[in-house]
Amino acid sequence: MKVSLKWLKRYVDLDESPKELAASLTLLGFEVDDMETTGVPPLENVVVGEVLQRDQHPDADKLGVCRVDCGPKIGEKSIVCGASNYKVGDRVPVALPGAELPGGFKIKESKLRGVPSAGMMCGASEIGASGDNSGLLILDGRPELGTPINQVLTDSDTVFNLEVTPNRPDCLSHIGIARELAAWYRRDVKYPKINNVPAKSDCANGEGLFRGLTVDAPEDCPLYIASVIKGVKVGPSPKWLQEALSSIGLRPINNVVDVTNFVMHECGNPMHAFDARDIEGGKIIVRNAGEGEVMNTLDGEERKLSSRMAVIADESKALAVAGVMGGQNSEVKKDTTDLVLEVAYFKPSTIRWVSKTLALSTDSSYRFERGVDPLSLRYATERAVSLILETAGGELCSNGVTAGSEPAWQTEVEITPEWIRKKSGFEITDEEIREALELLDMSISVDGEGVWTVSIPSYRGDLYRPVDLLEEVLRIFGTDKIPGGQVRATATTANDSPITEFNRKTASYLIGQNFAETVTYTLRSAGEQKRWAGHVSAEELALLNPISEDQTQLRHSLLPGMLEVLHLNQSRKTGANRFFETGRVFRELNGKVVEMVAVAFLECNGGTGRSWKERSFDDFYAAKQRIKTIAGYAGIDLDKFKIREVSDNEGAWQEGHSAAYEEPKAGFFARVGLMSLPRVKEMDIQGEVFGGIFCYLPERLREPKRIKFKPFSLYPASSRDLALVVDKSEPAEEVVRAMCKIASKATRDFEVEDVSVFDVYEGVGVAEDKKSVAVSMTFRALDRTLKDKEVNAAFDTIQNQVRENSPYSIRD
Amino acid sequence: MEDELNNIVESAKQKVAAVTSRAGFETVKAEITGPNGALTKVMKNMGSIAKEDRPTFGKLINQAKTTIQGFYDDALGAIEQAELAARIGPAIDPSLPSPNDPLGSQHPLTKVREEICSIFKQIGFTVTEGTEVETEYYCFDALNTPADHPARDLQDTFYLPSDAQFGNVSKKADERYLLRTHTSSVQIRTMLKEKPPLRIISPGRCFRRDTVDATHSANFHQIEGLYIDEDVTVRDLKAVLDYFFERLLGKGTTTRFRPHFFPYTEPSFEVDFSSSHLAKLGSDWVEIAGCGMVEPAVLESVGVDQEKHSGFAFGMGIERIAMILYGIDDIRYFYQNDARFLSQFA
Repeated sequence: MKVSLKWLKRYVDLDESPKELAASLTLLGFEVDDMETTGVPPLENVVVGEVLQRDQHPDADKLGVCRVDCGPKIGEKSIVCGASNYKVGDRVPVALPGAELPGGFKIKESKLRGVPSAGMMCGASEIGASGDNSGLLILDGRPELGTPINQVLTDSDTVFNLEVTPNRPDCLSHIGIARELAAWYRRDVKYPKINNVPAKSDCANGEGLFRGLTVDAPEDCPLYIASVIKGVKVGPSPKWLQEALSSIGLRPINNVVDVTNFVMHECGNPMHAFDARDIEGGKIIVRNAGEGEVMNTLDGEERKLSSRMAVIADESKALAVAGVMGGQNSEVKKDTTDLVLEVAYFKPSTIRWVSKTLALSTDSSYRFERGVDPLSLRYATERAVSLILETAGGELCSNGVTAGSEPAWQTEVEITPEWIRKKSGFEITDEEIREALELLDMSISVDGEGVWTVSIPSYRGDLYRPVDLLEEVLRIFGTDKIPGGQVRATATTANDSPITEFNRKTASYLIGQNFAETVTYTLRSAGEQKRWAGHVSAEELALLNPISEDQTQLRHSLLPGMLEVLHLNQSRKTGANRFFETGRVFRELNGKVVEMVAVAFLECNGGTGRSWKERSFDDFYAAKQRIKTIAGYAGIDLDKFKIREVSDNEGAWQEGHSAAYEEPKAGFFARVGLMSLPRVKEMDIQGEVFGGIFCYLPERLREPKRIKFKPFSLYPASSRDLALVVDKSEPAEEVVRAMCKIASKATRDFEVEDVSVFDVYEGVGVAEDKKSVAVSMTFRALDRTLKDKEVNAAFDTIQNQVRENSPYSIRD
Repeated sequence: MEDELNNIVESAKQKVAAVTSRAGFETVKAEITGPNGALTKVMKNMGSIAKEDRPTFGKLINQAKTTIQGFYDDALGAIEQAELAARIGPAIDPSLPSPNDPLGSQHPLTKVREEICSIFKQIGFTVTEGTEVETEYYCFDALNTPADHPARDLQDTFYLPSDAQFGNVSKKADERYLLRTHTSSVQIRTMLKEKPPLRIISPGRCFRRDTVDATHSANFHQIEGLYIDEDVTVRDLKAVLDYFFERLLGKGTTTRFRPHFFPYTEPSFEVDFSSSHLAKLGSDWVEIAGCGMVEPAVLESVGVDQEKHSGFAFGMGIERIAMILYGIDDIRYFYQNDARFLSQFA
């Protein structure tokens, strides 16, 4: 909201500099977004002087040496001057030593080309005045010598652009802000005096100008005051009024409309003047709009109304959208002579809804939707009427026809000074508390037990509880003076969330493996999701109200965003080709969409430029190892779960070169391997990309268990190798699993420590639909060195079991 | 005899010296000390030597054997060395650069987040995580945000369709799902789940329906703090934030409170800091966080006993802090992930 300093000064004495005032407003809770000073700012040591004599400078053609009379107190000064537009006898602004001109230029006694100069005669722009800039500012009207320049050039003003928080609708006016500054500086508020104009009795009814007021929508409009003024002369406003409105960016229109705007920005009450001629039947009716009713508002738009909106109407048509904007059909025009002035209270939530629905926010709706002081209407009416009569003439025909009544207002809050101190945590005296509240127009009565009953002024609807008063006390005390102190840090027993810990471990592992962490956007396009995850239904992850077409979906994966990062880095030739990210993804699991914690990494072998030596890149098995490590940080041992090949319809992965773990019951899934060659190529990425993603349900994550030591054998191991012929499609993992089972059964009092694949062979000597998988089995006992005999016996049993009870055969 | 031995030793010296491989060595060795070797033959002739000469001769033979064994050892050593050398290839040029292998790096937003968490951990705050999808109740209602508050508008907040079903984000009633606009929703879920005293911070991703520019991003990160205990005062809040900002922004950092308005705190403040260390900013007050005493209506909605407990909450933007700390002038850098940006925080 724009607030003019010159305007504020009507209601409170403010000698402080604009900068100081801005600092005070900020500490009162009104952030100053920006401020602009126009005209001559307050200047010290700049006075009116008269040129008595001009001599040529001995060493400079263009300079004159002048004798300048600055009045009896200051006397005559010798000043060197480069201008040429003045003559002896002219009066000009003289900046004396000690003056600081706008822009920070400081005036000192100095010498110019060897001649002393005791100040500077100023041009218009040098002191911030408007006007001809070709030389010195020649002052009109021969002002008194020695007069401070601000008393001569009084057009200075500073406009503050303030942020008024939604709890302070009372400050959406100059008086509101003046009240705050008055409290801050401990000064009085000077409310404008109203010249009480007696109404001509009943001229409205007598002459048929205004026959009545009916409010058919009392809930939306609890109070409506209509004042009738007859015989106004519409014309331009006086200069002071035009200047006031212009200063805060409003365009002066005519004296009547300008007064309504002025009073709104002065008192905070929106109001509207109707041309009485246009009120058919002379009756104002406040009613709900008809569904689909149409009217043209003052901004020239045709508005389609709904029955939830209230309108101000006459017998046949709507004249204004209540509290929002007037209609073209009844606006004040050049030839308007009779007015009906509306000052009303409209229900905030209604106005908020109407303004939102019509996408029409006005100064009026802004104030009504935040809440106008319910007891202020009569004062605002009188203020506006008296200013209209003053600026546009005419006579008041009635003192205001009122519908509804002012709501009863009595809000009292009980506090004790001890409570305020207890909540503040520092010493603040009874007197300071009392002063703060009284400065804010509150009155206090104290009962026998020391309880303070504080009455709240009607414009402070936001104050109704003790905490609200605590804030007011602190505000006037000065929130910048709240002392710090010792942190109360007692021990807590909680740990950081397991998700946080998981992310930390994962990040630290991957950073150690030279991956760079990325942070990419959560919102992705439907097209991307379709390409990368055709199996995920597009609707499930769609937003209701996306902001743009490329951000319609919640991300189902981190990888597409990371591939964009890879592409950006390839195209910018940064050389980076290993990335990871931790973040939330959204997936369908067991029939519902869930938010999952995810980690993904990728590595690319292309696009990094040439090097004298190639370094090794990930392959599937390196990527698989990473995924296993990461799952391990979540307490999941992937070896215990089935790995499966990824099929072609899961768009992100290359069939035959990638794999998946999928355990909806355990609340996680993982994918790993070569990323789809066509997808990667579509993105213009050079080379192949190996990647992996691990996602889990956050609520399944537990704090890691305490590690328990397991004893291990200090005796040597024995091993036996066995080559098995198995179906080509049999996963090696299945072979290992089956052999573990067989071997464990065959060994009674010692352990099968390990079964691992050491060779896989297809080709000559093995049937075409088969392959040979060679496993090495390691045996060990906890308490002794194994004898060959017992190992051999076990190995025989194993071979027999394979032959008899497994789909495998033994390769000779 | 002696000459013969000398000849054998001499020829062994030359032959062994010429050996270059393990196989060659074995051949030469066989020729000298093998079963049919030259020296072996001489030793076999021992019988034909006069008894009295035998000790002298034996001594000579032993000398020859020792000498030849010396040749063998030298040759084997040389061969082994050559073999090892062959295994590791030619000498390297230590001045060549390591192949381009960019270092792993922590994202600056993570770095700042972790720094903040660790400062708070020292005064007993632990990290709590919340979900990015939230419901209108936890994001607005429970935080005392009026039903027609503009922040709830479709203009400002991302919503999910009314039939959306989230398996792991609970609703209060039948309210809408949305993307959380602030991390304050974690306050509510925490207070509902856990009993005071509470001291948590909750970093995380938030969303506002903003068009992206140098200082706005539709997704951004916040960190929320909540402290609930007995007799908590405004001064306690100031003390915690003073401590935090001095630790984060360096010694000599000062903070001040400025009155403000948030629906979920009363009184509410914005926090400004001033730090001469952060060159770009000079000594002006710079806004950095919002805070306040938890609003009674909020405590009411989560059932905290207000006779006994009260508290404060605060929140700040992680991007903003990172921008201030590192002097970054455009929020989009965080989401572009150019390695030349990322590697600066490695």
